[in-house]
Amino acid sequence: MSGIDACLLEAIRVPGARGASVVDWTSGLPLGTIGDSPDGDHEATAAETAEFARLAAEHKAFAPSGGTDREDGELPVHDLILTNSDSYHLMRFVRTTFDSSVFLHLWLDRTEGNLALARIRLGEMAERLVIE
Amino acid sequence: MTAAVPLTTGGRTADDRTADTGVWPMLRRLAAERASGALTRDHGVLYLHDGLVTHAESSATPGLDVLLTTGGTVRPEGWWEAVDKAGPAQRVGRFLIDSGQLSAGALELCHLGALYDAAYFTLASHDGPTRFRHGVAHWIGPVRPVPVTAVERETRRRRRLLDRIWRRSATDTQPVRRAGSCDGLTLPPRRRAVLDRVDGERTAADISLALGRPGFHTVVELRRLAAAGLVTATAPTVSPAPLPESGTGTGRGTGTVTETETGTRTATVLPPVHSPDQDIALLHRLKEALEAL
Repeated sequence: MSGIDACLLEAIRVPGARGASVVDWTSGLPLGTIGDSPDGDHEATAAETAEFARLAAEHKAFAPSGGTDREDGELPVHDLILTNSDSYHLMRFVRTTFDSSVFLHLWLDRTEGNLALARIRLGEMAERLVIE
Repeated sequence: MTAAVPLTTGGRTADDRTADTGVWPMLRRLAAERASGALTRDHGVLYLHDGLVTHAESSATPGLDVLLTTGGTVRPEGWWEAVDKAGPAQRVGRFLIDSGQLSAGALELCHLGALYDAAYFTLASHDGPTRFRHGVAHWIGPVRPVPVTAVERETRRRRRLLDRIWRRSATDTQPVRRAGSCDGLTLPPRRRAVLDRVDGERTAADISLALGRPGFHTVVELRRLAAAGLVTATAPTVSPAPLPESGTGTGRGTGTVTETETGTRTATVLPPVHSPDQDIALLHRLKEALEAL
């Protein structure tokens, strides 16, 4: 099993998961998807979540106090959490040693999902995706 | 498709030089036939296996070797060892994973990005001949093949994305230079890295190579910098009427960008200039096209 597929399978097993994807936030390209997406179109969802992720990654307001120009490759933002009346959206930036702009997106059912647990799991998945 | 000369690589050769806008129908047909081979155009090559796109390369975007070695993900000697040992069997990607140089996930992320980028640069243009050589495979080997339909949708979407950012495409291919002061501006690090390499001579492809960054990312950042009035394409050999370059930039952040701002594309703003350089460039292109036949 490949890395992206293994990562997505793990994501969809998170309690309450409706769908998940691996997305490039510069282009809006979905590199892999699983399950459902909010409007039934993973590519459209990827383009929209990529725009959201890009703004978060680029705007000074969301950067740590030391600024965004970090020598150690640390990402300016770790993850994004968005809630609505029936679901959660979690986006976790993936840190790579090569030049990239990738994040994981997990869409969770609000009644069945556990936001804290899902956030921890997604962080672990983002690390394993590029290490294991 | 027409019959063609036999190739030393074996298999058949198929040409399609008739339809300069017909690359998509041709690709869809190859996908339906579950064809394997290499589709060559002016700006790059697309590799198919069983009708799926397995790899793509373009001079407009760095190859996997540059992307993976620039940041030290793979050591250059490790890369060349993989090419030497696994290249003949077309399993370089697998070798990199099996030899512990990088994870399957890292290779897939990097390779997919490179594939869609190179496919975009190869297929977005309607110019030039298209050829398909059956039976040709790339030495990287299978990583994560994608359907032709996905590549087509993504290529079209990317063009719309670029046009939404800034409608002028000159910065995609021409050398770029700074057009305004960015004093006091805080740019995102990835955009700043591109701007720092804008020197009036480098093109988007050169900057991508210098950064070890996927080519489309640089094209996007240059369009954003152009939209902000910070960067502009250098004048081509034959310069149209100069564009305004006041400190406020060229139409910064407005929604009024129209085709008239494209300068070289718009007949009304072009002086009736015809230089010998143009003729020579045209003759060169004709010569190359004839040689490619």
